[in-house]
Amino acid sequence: MAGSRMQKTGSVFSRTRNLLRIGVIEKPLWFDVYAAFPPLREPLYRVPRPRYGKVTDVVPPIFYREDEVRAKFYKIYGSGPKPFDLSQPKYKSICQRFVEKYNELKEEGKIEEENLFEETGKALLASGIILQRRGTDKVAQQDHQDAEARDSVLHLQLQTVLEELQEKKESQEEQTPELKETQKENPSS
Amino acid sequence: PPDLEDKLLTEPLRHPDFFNVKELFSLKDLFDARVHLGHKKGCRHQFMEPYIFGCRLDQDIIDLDQTMQHLQLALNFTAHVAYRKGIILFVSRNRQFCHLVESTARECGEYAHTRYWQGGLLTNAHIQFGPGIRLPDLLIFLSSLNNVFEPHVAIRDAAKMNIPTVGVVDTNCNPCLITYPIPGNDDSPTSMELYCKLFKMTIIRAKNKRKQIEVFQDLQSQEKHDTSRPVLAEGQA
Repeated sequence: MAGSRMQKTGSVFSRTRNLLRIGVIEKPLWFDVYAAFPPLREPLYRVPRPRYGKVTDVVPPIFYREDEVRAKFYKIYGSGPKPFDLSQPKYKSICQRFVEKYNELKEEGKIEEENLFEETGKALLASGIILQRRGTDKVAQQDHQDAEARDSVLHLQLQTVLEELQEKKESQEEQTPELKETQKENPSS
Repeated sequence: PPDLEDKLLTEPLRHPDFFNVKELFSLKDLFDARVHLGHKKGCRHQFMEPYIFGCRLDQDIIDLDQTMQHLQLALNFTAHVAYRKGIILFVSRNRQFCHLVESTARECGEYAHTRYWQGGLLTNAHIQFGPGIRLPDLLIFLSSLNNVFEPHVAIRDAAKMNIPTVGVVDTNCNPCLITYPIPGNDDSPTSMELYCKLFKMTIIRAKNKRKQIEVFQDLQSQEKHDTSRPVLAEGQA
């Protein structure tokens, strides 16, 4: 039984066809099937050569219009409050709902572009999704000046928060004096 | 009778889709089975670039339209080979799915080799197994890489022994020597189950069609014989 073991020369089909033409081989089972239904590319051996110099990427990157909104969402809010559950085929993540809401509000056109982002955040809050801003903790170097500035900023923030709390307490006291009496009677928790 | 045998073998080749393999899968099935997910950009093989649709955040996405065409051709080829009573060998060196591949082969009535491939299995068969051995007529690779991420030796050996191959090629594989490559994911369980299901269904369908046509031809030839002679007792099988 003859055969041609040269896998780097021509394809399987071309070699068997030539051997058949000479007459040293009998027709294999698959020959007619291949002749009737050839593949899209003839299986010739190609040498994988490494590319030198500037390598141009032939494969295009995939980006959508919504990616701008998604990038901004992830930058401000970090990865969303709920983890992705990919076991369901039609799962919509919070980021995806955010993007859809953003597009809806954009199409309505009543809100300006700068405020669109905050408006979608508020709209999602209204439908019950709480988005927490990612903390600005990432400071590479901490100079004394920066630390002092941050401390002073923190002080200011704390002061404002305390003032707001005090205002709220006063307003609550004005509105509900009865509740305050009941609170005084009951032991504080 | 040689005429009937000729007709048996040449008739299916006239139809573009004799075994109707197109109805076995759809684009949505491929997408749900995550066949379009490839490896990262750094793992990409040079010759897989024409089959890749694009790169999403460094992960390659395989073009499912091309995969549909390639899959249809590959399934059609396996069906015809199974119809002609060819021996099919499933090869996969992926340990995660070796049991699945072996059970698929057992259910089709064909063969599988999911263990270490010894050097001379195909090229030195007459000495390893004895004279008069019949080699497989088709090799199906459900993962064309071996455990060290190099192309499986059987691809080269099948090309040497002039045996056609059908193989699932992922974005890090070399599709050159495979006769009917199928660009697709070979690492997800859902995609492997889909491939196994499709191959099993095509092979069983082809074998049943063969049996059906043989029985039909036997009946026809029997009727011819019966009409030429006086009618004897019915039910002579």
